[in-house]
Amino acid sequence: MTLGTAPIGYDLSLCIPNLKAKGKESALAEMVSAAHLAGAIREPDLLLELLRVRERVGSTALGKGVAIPSARSVTVLAPRLVLGRTARGIEWGAADGHPVTLIFMALAPGEWREEAFHGLIARAAAVARLQRNRHRLLSAPSPEAVAEVLRGASA
Amino acid sequence: MGHPTYPRSADEAPASTERWTPLSRIVHLNDLDLLTRETTDPASLARLKKLGLAAEDTERLKAARAQAAQSVGARWLVAYERARQRYGSAVAAVRDRVCLGCFVTLPTTARPRSGAETVTTCESCGRILFWG
Repeated sequence: MTLGTAPIGYDLSLCIPNLKAKGKESALAEMVSAAHLAGAIREPDLLLELLRVRERVGSTALGKGVAIPSARSVTVLAPRLVLGRTARGIEWGAADGHPVTLIFMALAPGEWREEAFHGLIARAAAVARLQRNRHRLLSAPSPEAVAEVLRGASA
Repeated sequence: MGHPTYPRSADEAPASTERWTPLSRIVHLNDLDLLTRETTDPASLARLKKLGLAAEDTERLKAARAQAAQSVGARWLVAYERARQRYGSAVAAVRDRVCLGCFVTLPTTARPRSGAETVTTCESCGRILFWG
């Protein structure tokens, strides 16, 4: 089983172009809820609590308006990237002090090894690192356009 | 024994775990153990740092883990720790009746009734089963 190299589909139901949340914890909750509704996870309460604990261990903000909260759990059915976007920005404890406008939530099943899990996070980070990609993701007019940008950026 | 330092303030209050089933508590403990390994193993930590992700406050994680272990209760904690010592991860997901820990097909009778708060283990490897 080549878990580490499994392709990550960009499921449109896992893209939230306009997060309603105004804070970090509510943004995590909104994104976990979307993943649950899309059938990507079970037991959303457990996953949310894990993400909250992870944030307390250290901020997952990378700077430049990007955060990559992540969780590896048996409650995750298959590897997923959930993308949340917010124009107003959310305080995420970034080292550069910038509020976060792009949130890539990386979710992996519990049986995944750490290397594979970090590979998933690295893919999101690679997309987010380029200013051109961030700009395209922030200005994409629809979830379809966001998915297209992600596909193109990670090809 | 010192009182756990987690949570540190009301806005950090954890989800209400009182209503969680015994299995949910075990799964949460397993999640925290996976996170502990991820944030303490030197190779893993080096990768996280390279990615620009911080993991400096592991004391909070230890406190959360202690609290989660306490909520599991002595009976299941023994089975949990035994499986964790042996395999690294004590809980295995089940997909299509297959234990993803040892890949043995489980008998149809192994699945707990819907809504039952029963905790089941794999007859083959002894891991605690999470039926997904």
